[in-house]
Amino acid sequence: MATAILEQLINGAMMGSIYVLMALGMVLIYGVMHVLNFAHGVLFMVGGYMAHLFFFNLTGSYPLAIICSMITLALIGMVLERLIFRSLRDNLRMQIVASLGLILIIQNGVVQLWGPHALQMRPQTVDSLVKVGQLSFTVQHFVIIGVVTLAVTTLYLFLTRTRLGTAMRATSQHPEAAVVVGINPNRVYTITFMIACALAGLGGALLGPLFLIFPQMGDAPMLKALSAIIIGGMGSVPGAIVGGLGIGIVESMSTLVVPTDYRDTIVFGVLILMLLIRPWGIFGVRVRGEH
Amino acid sequence: MKPIYSLIAAIVVLVVGALAPVLFGGQPYVLYVLTLALCYAIPAIGMNLLYGYTGLVSLGHMGFAGVGAYTTAVLMKDYGVPFVPSLLAGAVAAGGIGLLVGIPCLRLRSHFFIVVTLAVGMILYTLFNNLDGLTGGAEGLPGIPRPQNIEIGSLVIEFRSLGGFYMLTFVITALIFGLQYLLVRSDFGRSLSSVRQDEALAAARGVDVFAHKLFAFVLSAAIAGVGGAMKVLFLRAAAPLSFELQESINLMMMLILGGAGFLVGPIIGAITFVALPEFLRVANQLRLIFFGFVLLALARFAPRGICGLVEAAYRKLSNREKAVVAHP
Repeated sequence: MATAILEQLINGAMMGSIYVLMALGMVLIYGVMHVLNFAHGVLFMVGGYMAHLFFFNLTGSYPLAIICSMITLALIGMVLERLIFRSLRDNLRMQIVASLGLILIIQNGVVQLWGPHALQMRPQTVDSLVKVGQLSFTVQHFVIIGVVTLAVTTLYLFLTRTRLGTAMRATSQHPEAAVVVGINPNRVYTITFMIACALAGLGGALLGPLFLIFPQMGDAPMLKALSAIIIGGMGSVPGAIVGGLGIGIVESMSTLVVPTDYRDTIVFGVLILMLLIRPWGIFGVRVRGEH
Repeated sequence: MKPIYSLIAAIVVLVVGALAPVLFGGQPYVLYVLTLALCYAIPAIGMNLLYGYTGLVSLGHMGFAGVGAYTTAVLMKDYGVPFVPSLLAGAVAAGGIGLLVGIPCLRLRSHFFIVVTLAVGMILYTLFNNLDGLTGGAEGLPGIPRPQNIEIGSLVIEFRSLGGFYMLTFVITALIFGLQYLLVRSDFGRSLSSVRQDEALAAARGVDVFAHKLFAFVLSAAIAGVGGAMKVLFLRAAAPLSFELQESINLMMMLILGGAGFLVGPIIGAITFVALPEFLRVANQLRLIFFGFVLLALARFAPRGICGLVEAAYRKLSNREKAVVAHP
């Protein structure tokens, strides 16, 4: 039993790290510009495809493929923000409509280009194993946990230590006041979207090799990340981290108790329970009259 | 539009709709697609009451449709219950689940509510997929019987043929449409609109916001249940894939395409979304990409859908006429 728990703990930490990446991206976008980007899952998927493309067709090196995938996604994010989301900032319903449109275009566009079948990509890290006691994990498990920890730390330092990060936080707290002190909110919005999309791309490039790369690979992580930011508290960066890891671990641990098929039911059940008890989330602040 | 024009339009649509089996008698494919479009128009009308008139977004509505569908299907298939009571039971079951979800969740603010409906839809889908004893699991329930013939004296009305089933779906859609019409035009419907426009103001004017939202949600879920039941009866099989997240999203897209908040919006949306691409013979993926761009364009330029565009054009035209009269 103890080994089973340890196994699911590490699996949970690995999936949780992926959810953290997705959740951080969505929280940044939501926190800074009040846009709920339901299309974040397909950007994650595109990250997987980009990593595949760069790995096999251009660089042949997995780390370089990851970086190229992040850069591509950042550029895609810039285009999306400028062309679509900037004009829909105060309209939640139309943001959803636009996200749904984007999902259709990107997901079916990928099917057109690469076909509906899953792609395989096995860098060295997937084939080599690490033994922990009686258990063995792929190196990729620990690569994911490590890279995500690094990314989260970098993002934290960026947000707290750099001028740009401070500008982002200022805009999220009070856009008008940010303008007064000389911040250009449109520039901040573009950069926020670029960072968020790059994080999604990183997630896809990290998870793709471990599972498979296919058009729907981002759907489940997007829903889990959405649950994570709600459990953590909409707009809260620490909330996204705790929520994402928590969901990953709850999800893995639940397989010890219930059949795997009901894993998602447990996660969404926890989400609904949380919304009923504490709708403003773990780290969220209760705003009077908002809930 | 003047009431007389609306009345004429309604009569024309009813007559043409009722004559469709005669008009397209030789083209079963056309009737097939029209029936399928109507099967989506029913839950889309339910969605319109919720989204178009009350302002709530639900991304799990096909889950409720699934509850209605499986209830009706199991009653008819395994217990031999006749069609009408089975359909009503399906509507009640879907509405009941709606009530269970609505009471705790409708207190949540907009985006939280959207995510909850999404989660509920996912949970219902998982249940359809895994409760093998009740729903047949991933394989679904095949061989669902269509309603039995009605015999009035020597007159036999049959529902097993395509034309007969189309008529049945048409009549049910018309009834649900009538329900929508009555509700929206009533005082209650106006209170619903006030909730959509400004919740706080509506509450200040003495509208019980929560009760209105709950009623709209439960009714909308029950109507979705009717739509789901008609769909599985038409396809003669119930499968979890008919009620997955993507289907809920498609439903939302139909409504937005047609025009949320317009009486005919859901019907125009369902027919445009289901029927038009079938007739244009476009490959499925290309059609979805095309609809993606349509949605982006709608979000950006025409948030009120096809009906909104028509209305704007009509206003422009009638204003021009008036202007001509005013300045001869």
